[in-house]
Amino acid sequence: MTPPIVAQRVTPGNAEAVAELLATCDRTGRAVIVEGGRTLDGMGGAPTRADVALCTCALDRILTYEPRDLTVAVEAGMTLAALAGQLQRERQFVPLDAPLRKRATVGGTLAAGWLGPRRHRYGRPRDLIIGSRVALADGTLARAGGMVVKNVSGYDMSKLYVGSFGTLAVIVEAHFKTLPLPERRRAILARLPSGSAERAVAHLQALAVPPSAAWRVTGFHREVPGDDGDDGRLVVFLESTETLMERATRDLRSVLGRAGVPAATIIDDGAYDSFERVCDALIAPLGERSVTYRELGSPENALPRCTALMALAERRQLIPESITDIMNGDRYLRVSDRDALAFNTKIDAFDDELHTEAPDAIVVAGQTAMRADLAVWGEPPRTLARMHALKDRFDPRHTLNPGRFIGGI
Amino acid sequence: MLRERLVDALGADAVKTSPEDLAVYAFDAYSESAPPDAVVLPTSSRQVCATVAIARACGVPVVGRGAGTGLCGGAVPTAGGIVVSFARMNRLLQLDLPNRRARVQPGLINLALSEAVAGAGLFYAPDPASQRASTLGGNIATNAGGPHCLGYGVTANHVLELEVVDDRGEVFSCSIDDIGYDLTGVLVGSEGTLGLVTSAWVRLLRMPESVRVWLAGFADIESASAAVSQTIAAGIVPSAMEIMDAVITQAVEAAFHAGYPTDVGAILLIENAGFEEDMQAGEAAISRICRDAGALFWRSAKSTAERAALWAGRKGAAAATGRIAPNYYTQDVCVPRSKLPQAIAVVREAAADHGVTVGNVFHAGDGNLHPLLMYDKRDRKQVAGVIGAGNVILDAAIALGGTISGEHGIGHEKREAMTRVYTTEDLATMAKVREVFDPARSLNPEKIFPRGVGCPEVR
Ligand SMILES: Cc1cc2nc3c(=O)[nH]c(=O)nc-3n(C[C@H](O)[C@H](O)[C@H](O)COP(=O)(O)OP(=O)(O)OC[C@H]3O[C@@H](n4cnc5c(N)ncnc54)[C@H](O)[C@@H]3O)c2cc1C
Repeated sequence: MTPPIVAQRVTPGNAEAVAELLATCDRTGRAVIVEGGRTLDGMGGAPTRADVALCTCALDRILTYEPRDLTVAVEAGMTLAALAGQLQRERQFVPLDAPLRKRATVGGTLAAGWLGPRRHRYGRPRDLIIGSRVALADGTLARAGGMVVKNVSGYDMSKLYVGSFGTLAVIVEAHFKTLPLPERRRAILARLPSGSAERAVAHLQALAVPPSAAWRVTGFHREVPGDDGDDGRLVVFLESTETLMERATRDLRSVLGRAGVPAATIIDDGAYDSFERVCDALIAPLGERSVTYRELGSPENALPRCTALMALAERRQLIPESITDIMNGDRYLRVSDRDALAFNTKIDAFDDELHTEAPDAIVVAGQTAMRADLAVWGEPPRTLARMHALKDRFDPRHTLNPGRFIGGI
Repeated sequence: MLRERLVDALGADAVKTSPEDLAVYAFDAYSESAPPDAVVLPTSSRQVCATVAIARACGVPVVGRGAGTGLCGGAVPTAGGIVVSFARMNRLLQLDLPNRRARVQPGLINLALSEAVAGAGLFYAPDPASQRASTLGGNIATNAGGPHCLGYGVTANHVLELEVVDDRGEVFSCSIDDIGYDLTGVLVGSEGTLGLVTSAWVRLLRMPESVRVWLAGFADIESASAAVSQTIAAGIVPSAMEIMDAVITQAVEAAFHAGYPTDVGAILLIENAGFEEDMQAGEAAISRICRDAGALFWRSAKSTAERAALWAGRKGAAAATGRIAPNYYTQDVCVPRSKLPQAIAVVREAAADHGVTVGNVFHAGDGNLHPLLMYDKRDRKQVAGVIGAGNVILDAAIALGGTISGEHGIGHEKREAMTRVYTTEDLATMAKVREVFDPARSLNPEKIFPRGVGCPEVR
């Protein structure tokens, strides 16, 4: 199945123009595909209809930044990197993590509900947002929440838009709590010799000063620095005050030692770079011969789970590479083959098999043409009927991103 | 008819319909009252389902009820119907220590959960000052806050999964890990208008390795507020920052000895939790800001007992106020934190203009004000004064960029005020969710949404 071709690309410059465009399309039965930085084009279903592509990229301003209140209001098309740059001047940040932050927009990251590696510490996108402004398919502009950090006046609508994949409304503006930037950041890389991974991971999860992010990586040699041992390699990202960093590092080294991990490389300059490299790798494709899956689950059995999924790929003669998020439990599996032709003959069967084993696994990176035959959203969730009902209320003509989300929404 | 069917389904022991029983369920901690037609005390989700099905068949509304400590009339059955009390669904169902989470029934008392997991070095973070009485179901329905929400976030940030009985009497579940729309996110804080929560998985946190509690005294509440604004502005976020003015501290000291000085205009209670290495720098920075803002003294709690006493005073403040005023009304506005001193000035003026005595005890670090406006409900003039002052404070909070409720909810009390912060379009968008979950508006009707003009879609 080939996805439909977009006839027209529009870049509205403000919220009102977004609303007007939507109203017109909705009235005339034209489907609107919402685009931010298009970093997650490899995720979700291909649109079933696509007449107009609405790019939020001209909505790229900070609307209100009150460093003294630790709050910021930003337009949806601003990139994560641009937002971070503005906040950095006041030594603040919003811990919104997504791959390719120089291109990824705030709105896109929210709509995808991208679950980043630091959420065990700072919360998910749904926890960071305190207010929003959206344009509904019929052209209504609606606000929810505001610029206060606590607010229970009515339903928390912002949370509903986060993770809705642009199928309920177009997010035009988002308000966040900001946080003071950590004084120090440090990345630590280590090879994992045979039999060390299980213990290293268990120790890392129990650390008194938990890392902000920690991954076990196998493969991904183009994307993530370091060499694999028999059990792969570790990338750990620490954030703390100056005074605490010493203990955090000492404790980390000592537990790694006990797990039989010999030497670790410490990176201070460019620590954030190392962190970003892994975030980017999560959706990095290998030409047209790879698909990356994500499965969520408890941190406790993340590693055995990852091993099981890799074995599945090997049985199908696919090359597995993995990134396991140690603190949150997510496992990312990239499967590939030497050439696209060979890959194409195997991937459909693998997709079926994988979903028998891991029904909730989703595709986070895959070619659009290929994805049409994959269960990109995994098993439909138990809440699907209510989701359809919400969709029909918010967007009765299915104008917004038709077919992109789960269950054909 | 209604009674017979309920008794058939739940047993006579679980159904109350005598006027004296109904009178008990006509109230919450807000002053309005309206008796229900019947009260049921289910012991299982199945019984909740049966109740909702019967209510539906009989065409009467259903109102969930936890401990009735709500402060906005949320649990008051203003349109009659059946009150479902979760008092008998109060068990801790499951503890998953490795993954630090617990499955609870809605009637479990907030504090009981933290007490049950303390042995494992864990705690449940959202701690409304009512935590000795209020239930997790009520907390979830109101998205409750509390003193420690400054550092740890509100209830919504700690709920992982819900089991809910819907408007047709059917059970459904949703989790924040579900792919798809975040139903958990809208259900938390929906005040029982989208479904009845019958169990929940909630997040537990590891107890911090190091905790400090500090007390600073100020000549007046404005300077205490300025100290809070400046702390936040400096990028310092302790785990709690609570202000109490002299009206409150005197009441607290008269009621039980917390160790608060009564000769200062206001005190600021600060807790910092985290790592030992960070404590000294934290104390140095915050105490300096307080001194610069005019602190008259700075005290550091020396022992666990002293810490507990300082907190006990804060958590007992409302009860102590009950001893000095026949009635009081708690306002719950929230403003951007740099606006605290201005907001507090408005409170003072509004109370003075209306001849009302006011005590302030509030979650200052979050910008969440709680002026307690004192009155005697038998005196019409005082009642009018309180309503007038409350309105001025609401409007001022909105004008300062704030909102009409930081943590107590809208309930029946503030439904008409919703139009002051939201446009018709905003409210109509919210109402779409209601129409999906409860098109007949049989779950806690007359709450949250304003009635009337300019809001055709919003009843
Ligand atoms: C002294 C005092 C101090 C307080 N301090 C705080 C504070 O610091 N922070 C704060 O946020 N609040 C505070 N409150 C307000 C109140 O305690 C909270 O709103 C609390 O969450 C209510 O819990 P409850 O069990 O008493 O619920 P109730 O008052 O019984 O009900 C509250 C609402 O929840 C609904 N509800 C109850 N159970 C369910 C259920 N299982 N499913 C669906 N809906 C349900 C009810 O219909 C109602 O709308 C305080 C109140 C008092 C009296």
